[in-house]
Formats: sequence, C-alpha cells, structure tokens
Amino acid sequence: MSIEKAYMLLSIALFLIGLLGVIVRKNLITILVSTELMLNGINLALVIADRVIGRVDGQIMAFFVLTVAAAEVAVGLGLVVAIFRLKGYEGSSEITQLRD
Amino acid sequence: MEWLIFLIFGTWLIASALGVVFVKNPVHSILFFLSSLLAMAGIFVSLGAELLAGIQLIIYAVAIVVFYVLVITTIPWEKVKRFEGFYKKELLTATPGLLVVFILMAYMIIKGKFAPHAGVVKDNVREVGKALFTSYLFPFEVASVILLVAMVGAILLGRREEG
Repeated sequence: MSIEKAYMLLSIALFLIGLLGVIVRKNLITILVSTELMLNGINLALVIADRVIGRVDGQIMAFFVLTVAAAEVAVGLGLVVAIFRLKGYEGSSEITQLRD
Repeated sequence: MEWLIFLIFGTWLIASALGVVFVKNPVHSILFFLSSLLAMAGIFVSLGAELLAGIQLIIYAVAIVVFYVLVITTIPWEKVKRFEGFYKKELLTATPGLLVVFILMAYMIIKGKFAPHAGVVKDNVREVGKALFTSYLFPFEVASVILLVAMVGAILLGRREEG
C-alpha cells in the first residue's frame, strides 16, 4: 500500500468522525465544529489527489473549501446565536420548527 | 521516514478528532479542534502544500477558532451546560453504519488504482498563485462575492430587533 492510499484512508476516517459528531452531539456549536472536521477531511483528500496527479488544481479547490468554511462559520454561528436568543435553548433535538 | 511522519501526524489527527466529538465541554472540544488543525497543517507541509498549510494556520487556527470562542463567551454559561455531551442511542446506531461505510470506501481505495502522474510541481507557491490568478480567476472573484454575502447575512442574523 502506497503512502497516498494511507493518507486517503486518513481523510475518509476524518470525514466520518466529523459526520459522527454531527449525528451524536447535543450542542449546536459542537455540531458546527464537527462540520469543520468534515471540511478538513475533504481538504486532505484534495491535497492527496494533487500529490498523486502532480498538479495544483486540488489545492485551489481546497482554497475554495476554506472560503466556504469561513462563510459557513459566519452564517452558522449567527443562526445559532439567533436561535438561542429567540428560543432560549440550543439542544439539537429541541429545535423542531423553522418558524418561531 | 514518510511513514513515520504519517504515523505521528495521523495518530495526532485522529486522536484530536475523536476528542472533538467525545469531549463534553464545548470549549474543550474547540481546543481539540485547534489541535487537529495543527496536525493537519503539519500533514500539508509534509505533502508539499506549503501555501495551503500557512493559510490553514492563518484562517482556521486563528480566525475561525477565535470566532467560535468569542461566540461561546457571549452565550450564558449555565444554559450551555444543559446541552453538553452526546446522545447515547444515536451513538450506538450511527457507529456501526459509519464503520460499514468506512470499510466499503477503504476496500475501494485499497483495491483501486490512482490516475497516472501528469506533471511535477517544483515550486508549490508559485504554481498555485499562477493557477489561481489565471485559470481560476473567475471562481476567485465569485469567492469574494460569497464572503461579502456571508458577511451581510451574518450582520442581518446577529442584529437585535429594534423595538
């Protein structure tokens, strides 16, 4: 097994750990942190693919993933704070309505 | 040598990712996330993506983590405490499913073949910059618009209703 395949397995493991965090965590902020873990796994896979092929396009995709991550953090944390202020709770199982 | 680096950083990365998921306190979970980002930057450097490692450190490890901690400090602490930890039943049901997915994808990767080499990158930063500002110029501009829209949206969401 080459080292690239090992790194690819590492990135898949990281993505699935993030997905597990999204599924099992109660706190909305830690759910957002777990989505960041998933995005990091994707970045790792893109960089590995770059190294395998020998180009730089994957790293540029990784830059765009970083951009989207920053935007997601801004909007997502704004949503969490708004939910918390309007409803007064933030357990992920108690938010069942889109309206207030 | 490569495998040694892989083992060190991989163990560090997986350990801190598991820490993010399974630690109770949200602040500790964010600190574990910071540790996983440092491991990831190390992996990027060892894979020859130096620019991405630097940007990872600057944007993720400084900006995003500080943003999370700031938001946590604005939320009253005793209310956060009610919702720490994780759902036990969901953990029991999700873990086997995700393990099966991991085994399937691992089989696919171990048995499969990668695409052949297309070229050699000598100077990573120069190559990335050249590609980013020539063939990826339009997505780059779109990314700036996305950031602007996200900023406006965050301001709108975070603003208090004025009576």
